Amino acid sequence: MLKEGSELMRIDHHPILKTFEKGKLVKFLYDGEVMEGYEGEPIAVALRANGVMIHRYTSKHNDPRGVFCAIGRCTDCVMVVDGEPNIRTCITPLQEDMKIETQHGISNNKEDESI
Amino acid sequence: MKRYELIIIGAGPAGLSAAIEAASNGMQVMVFDENERPGGQLFKQIHKFFGSKEHKAKERGFRIGEKLLKEAEGLGVEVQLKAAVMGIFDDKEISVMLDGRVEHYRANNIVIATGASEKMLPFPGWTLPGVIGAGAAQTMMNLHGLKPGSRVLMVGSGNVGLVVGYQLLQAGCKLEAVIDAAPRVGGYGVHAAKLARTGVPFYMSHTIKEAHGDSCVKGAAILAVDSSWQPIPGSEKYLEVDTICMAVGLSPMSQLARTAHCEMENNPLKGGLVSICNKYGETSTPGVYAVGDVAGIEEASSAMIQGRIAGAAISFDKGYINEAEFATRYEEYQNSLMQLREGMFGHKDKEAADMEHTEEGYILSQSLLSKGYMDAEEIEEYPGVYPVEQRGKGVFPVIECTQNIPCNPCQDACKRGCIKVSGKITNLPSVDASVECTACGMCVVSCPGQAIFLVDETLAPGYASVAIPYEFYPLPEPGSKGLALDRSGTSLGEAEVLKVKSSKAMDETAVLTMKVPVEWSMQARFFQVY
Repeated sequence: MLKEGSELMRIDHHPILKTFEKGKLVKFLYDGEVMEGYEGEPIAVALRANGVMIHRYTSKHNDPRGVFCAIGRCTDCVMVVDGEPNIRTCITPLQEDMKIETQHGISNNKEDESI
Repeated sequence: MKRYELIIIGAGPAGLSAAIEAASNGMQVMVFDENERPGGQLFKQIHKFFGSKEHKAKERGFRIGEKLLKEAEGLGVEVQLKAAVMGIFDDKEISVMLDGRVEHYRANNIVIATGASEKMLPFPGWTLPGVIGAGAAQTMMNLHGLKPGSRVLMVGSGNVGLVVGYQLLQAGCKLEAVIDAAPRVGGYGVHAAKLARTGVPFYMSHTIKEAHGDSCVKGAAILAVDSSWQPIPGSEKYLEVDTICMAVGLSPMSQLARTAHCEMENNPLKGGLVSICNKYGETSTPGVYAVGDVAGIEEASSAMIQGRIAGAAISFDKGYINEAEFATRYEEYQNSLMQLREGMFGHKDKEAADMEHTEEGYILSQSLLSKGYMDAEEIEEYPGVYPVEQRGKGVFPVIECTQNIPCNPCQDACKRGCIKVSGKITNLPSVDASVECTACGMCVVSCPGQAIFLVDETLAPGYASVAIPYEFYPLPEPGSKGLALDRSGTSLGEAEVLKVKSSKAMDETAVLTMKVPVEWSMQARFFQVY
């Protein structure tokens, strides 16, 4: 199921670069929802193509955060990937059946008091 | 612990060039880079570079990257990716994070070519999803084929903001505005003009007040600032955007130089904290060099030459080339570097630049500096434009290159010798009205600033043709109609596409010729598809 914005964000024909080489189309889970993206592209790119903007909420103020630098430097886009928190989604390649979850503080659980 | 003769940190334009130079002299070179792919930012640069042939001008950045990689590979340079260098210690020992393990290496010489990171500007709402760096926009659209947003505000009018702004248009995004707190466009006028003629408004002396939205950006409030950078009450404007792209400067990533105990200085002309280097790029720590943006923010073209110089100096120091050979190469590279640093945007003139006149004494367009485009009357004053009385004979070029920037591919492009950049490479190109123009269009596509047009006021009674560089998808079909826009992006009225020329030599820049009423011949500069 696609969210607002969705696949329209993909560039089909680029005047200079023409087309983009992509891996095979694979399914992955985002907060329990099945989505599709291309294997090997950054997780963040696959999420954005599905209309996902919010990657995590900060621990103190519960502020939403998303992609900011897109080169693995700022760590604003970290999420819980296959159970592991703090994964920089902008530089981590998407794999088939990956389980990607919104991060709350450093956990995948909103109610987690330990954070 | 593994040893190498030379370890280079960073596989971008500076690091690869240093590697190529040293390896071509016979040195054993290892390059570490923390990224998944080599090339630094070159593969995101899809525009044609400025400079001369020696600086690889009119080649697109990603193609330069491909060539550098191939050359390095051919010379046996080892490139270790996903290798984050954590520190440089005594006796040129370095520690590298590789696959979750820390490994140690030692080298006789080290070149730090770690580049730069983006500066940021905090404002209310700046942490909202949808506020991104200009680099992030480039990464998403030019590497991964994804639009970073639909409606974008660009904050910053330096070359990064202008170039990325144009790339956003090419990717199919709408650029709602370019704003800058400074009163003048910071980057090349030709880059600004490319945006302005498509209709992008420039708000100079404007800053961002806040980003609106609860869960992501839904809009941006901007406001005007006075000459002492204070907000002007009542000047607020609201822009409906989903993306705010920040292009407010770069800082050298000089942390590794500090770990190597290099003597540092805070130099605003170089973008911040840099190591103090001699003319070969060597820091105060013997055998440790710093080249490219990490040594001072410049362009990729100068980073490549700095890399060459360091590579040659190290080769000479270790006996791989003799003194005479080194002297010859150094002189060649240094001259090439100095050329790039000339002009009103050059390294040395950044603060002292005369913003009223070119070096030759032509009046600089204040409209270009404050609005991003020139007024039609101003164009007539420059040497790249035929005098009015010479225009009745057929096609003639109009070169709207009006600032001293180091670039000259136009003169090589014209095989008939119509175009000259005499003297310094930063001088404005001039046209020789006695040379008959064959309308081949090679000057149009060779200009990295897309500032050359071909005009024919004798097309048909009452009509002129205007040929423009065109880099958007899809290419309009001959015979199709659209709008002729002037330099400010304002519609003049209907235009018809006469032909669209594109070939391999033109490298994806098409020449679109449109038919317009003759009175628009010196105004129509863009074609907008209906």
